[in-house]
Amino acid sequence: MIVIDRLCKRFGALKAVDALDLEVREGELFCFLGPNGAGKTTTIKMLTGLMRPDSGRIVLNGIDIRHDPVAAKRIIGYIPDMPYLYDRLTPREYVEFVGDLYRVPGAAVTDAIERELDRFGLSDYRDALIGDLSHGLRQRLIYVATFLHDPAIMFVDEPLVGLDPYSIRMIKDLLRARTRAGMTIFLTTHILAVAEEIADRIGIIHRGRLVALGTLDELRTESGRAGSLEDLFLHLTAGAESPVSAS
Amino acid sequence: MTPELAAILRKDRRSLRNLWRVLSRESLFKVSFVLLFATAMLSGLFLLFLDGFRFLAEFGGAGFMITRRLFSLFFLGLGGMLVISGVVTSYSTLFRSREVPLMLTGPFDEGSIVLYKFAETAVLSSWAFIFIIVPFTAAYALQHGLGLVFGVWMLAFTAPFLVLCAALGTLITLLVVRWVPRGRTVGVLLLLAVGAFAYHTIMRVGSQSAFESPVFMLSRVVPGLRLASMPAMPSWWTAEGVDAFAQGRPVRGLLFLGTLTANALMAALLVRQLGAAMFFEAYQRVHGARAAGARRGRLLPATARVCGFLPRDVRAIMTKDIRTFFRDPMQWSQALIFFGLLALYFASIRSFRYDQLPREWRNMIAFLNVFSVAAVQCSLASRFIYPQLSLEGQAFWMLGLSPITTRRILAGKFWLAAAGMLSVSLLLIVFSTRMLAVEAQVRGVALAVMTAVSFAVAGLSTGLGAVFLDLKTSNPAAIVSGFGGTVNLVLSLIFMLAAILPFGMIFHLSFLQRIPAGAVPRALVAAFLWLALITPLTTVVPMILGRKAMNGRDY
Repeated sequence: MIVIDRLCKRFGALKAVDALDLEVREGELFCFLGPNGAGKTTTIKMLTGLMRPDSGRIVLNGIDIRHDPVAAKRIIGYIPDMPYLYDRLTPREYVEFVGDLYRVPGAAVTDAIERELDRFGLSDYRDALIGDLSHGLRQRLIYVATFLHDPAIMFVDEPLVGLDPYSIRMIKDLLRARTRAGMTIFLTTHILAVAEEIADRIGIIHRGRLVALGTLDELRTESGRAGSLEDLFLHLTAGAESPVSAS
Repeated sequence: MTPELAAILRKDRRSLRNLWRVLSRESLFKVSFVLLFATAMLSGLFLLFLDGFRFLAEFGGAGFMITRRLFSLFFLGLGGMLVISGVVTSYSTLFRSREVPLMLTGPFDEGSIVLYKFAETAVLSSWAFIFIIVPFTAAYALQHGLGLVFGVWMLAFTAPFLVLCAALGTLITLLVVRWVPRGRTVGVLLLLAVGAFAYHTIMRVGSQSAFESPVFMLSRVVPGLRLASMPAMPSWWTAEGVDAFAQGRPVRGLLFLGTLTANALMAALLVRQLGAAMFFEAYQRVHGARAAGARRGRLLPATARVCGFLPRDVRAIMTKDIRTFFRDPMQWSQALIFFGLLALYFASIRSFRYDQLPREWRNMIAFLNVFSVAAVQCSLASRFIYPQLSLEGQAFWMLGLSPITTRRILAGKFWLAAAGMLSVSLLLIVFSTRMLAVEAQVRGVALAVMTAVSFAVAGLSTGLGAVFLDLKTSNPAAIVSGFGGTVNLVLSLIFMLAAILPFGMIFHLSFLQRIPAGAVPRALVAAFLWLALITPLTTVVPMILGRKAMNGRDY
């Protein structure tokens, strides 16, 4: 479970995130949407411990990330939009490295290497250097590695960048399956159709403030519009200035 | 060691092992060329040091005293360079590395991140100095009839010395990034440089009447000797320790080794503790500033106006490159540090009384100064001008699609590089020759040689940057250390030697009276003709090759 309490971040005169209140429940797939520069990436960076908030509190499964960052990071996984991978390792070595880092038992790592590399179509490349892999294959590898320690909370920034339709389908199924198994997923994307398809709840941030929060039906009811998520998004981010209360 | 740090070290070991796979794919010619260059450089430096030691031995007593103090001086100079290298490298490893965000979101505490990155800094900032340490040690050992065991002692002392210098560099970076107000870094660096110079001058003036020791007398001709002989300096512990072992006094040697190691470990501990306390804040300052989008539109407002006489498209490329240079602290800080150090040294010429040396010695120093400026220029050109085109990277499509010819793109980059290098190097040479009070003829030759080196190095780096264009690599260090970067550096250094040596030799041989005075003007004319031949060749041919390579490739 993610609890965000009055979270603020400024860059000079710019309020990147302004008094954000939000709760994401356990086993929920939450889509965090917003136009460019709305504050999505800043929020996700604060949630993952990359950036320190000016004020406010972040609690991940009962752990305050400011007070015990290492414990908090043990239970999270983060897939950035442009992930960093070690070019001079092979996919097998990279997964083993992540296993070492999160103290995953050796047998589970070996099992994951066999099963997950195969599932993600990486078996043929397990001993190739990562530097030689295409963008799509690298993206698949990052999913294998990040899910390895079975994090309680997963943050995913633009999950489908550079993936082919086959991989997109696989990732969507994976995210849904993991939430059903109890994982909390916090996801940002610009592909509204994906949010519409897989999100349990949606939050829309605009100019640092949360302007909409709820299921797709709740958003429709609240805004009084019956269109697609795209219509709602354009309507809410074009003129909305006042925040809604978090539900 | 925490399991997380153990995991990341295991990863490094595997990565290193896989390096062999990467190297085995390189062509044999490439690998042979790099190995040959490394061997030639090591051998050349070895012979140079050996010649220096033999030269000093000819001086008898004074030479013996200088040689005795040479290790202190050597480690002092090395230490200065290592600390600067540590500052630059640690900024890159701590604040620019893409691995740090990965570690920050992983189960690492900040102290562990800083400790790991400090170890990386120590390796990256010091490995190249092996090319100085090994030939120096070998030449010294050969000259003094010392065995292999001397090399072992040297290694034992060098390791903690390198750690200590890297730790100092890392601490400076952490403190500056954490505490120096943003946008004031240049001012603070200049203030520190002025302060160091003032301190240096006051110390010299204040102690002039007090000291009559041999060290003081020798420090008149050998700069830094007094500083290097201070018992509080790590360079002195290192030198004394190595000397003690060489003279069969192991207890004294161990005492210095213990002192040096304890201080290195203490410095590493300080890095860890201070890093744990301030790294995250410092990281926020660096990346917070970037995220703020607070780029000053006022940066170089006159740039476009100054370049007003140029065609608009060329002007656009040049303005972009100037802005990129000044907005990247890695670029301007390295240029500022290296040229600043040279300026500081030239400013001290009169306090060393070099201007009162005999004419021939002043001429020799003037050419050595041209050599120093040219060498810095070659290395900065290889580091910054050579990878410029490759670093356009993902944005290259913009240049590629724009209605501008390859020739104009290259010309814009060449003229900008040449103008930048000319303005700085000529200023430095004028300063150096004025401080040395050399004759107008020597000053003229020095300026001509510097102009030739500036043009040739700009042409080589721009042209070869286009020949070995690499749009896939975003890491400038990887581009520079590749085959093309090595070729560029080697050719730049060869040109530098080919340009400077004939003139230097003429003045030197005339000093030794191996050339009659009447033949000097003729020899100078021949040297100028040689310079006039090789400079346009070295400037234009790589540019033509670069243009052809760019026109002929697929994007």
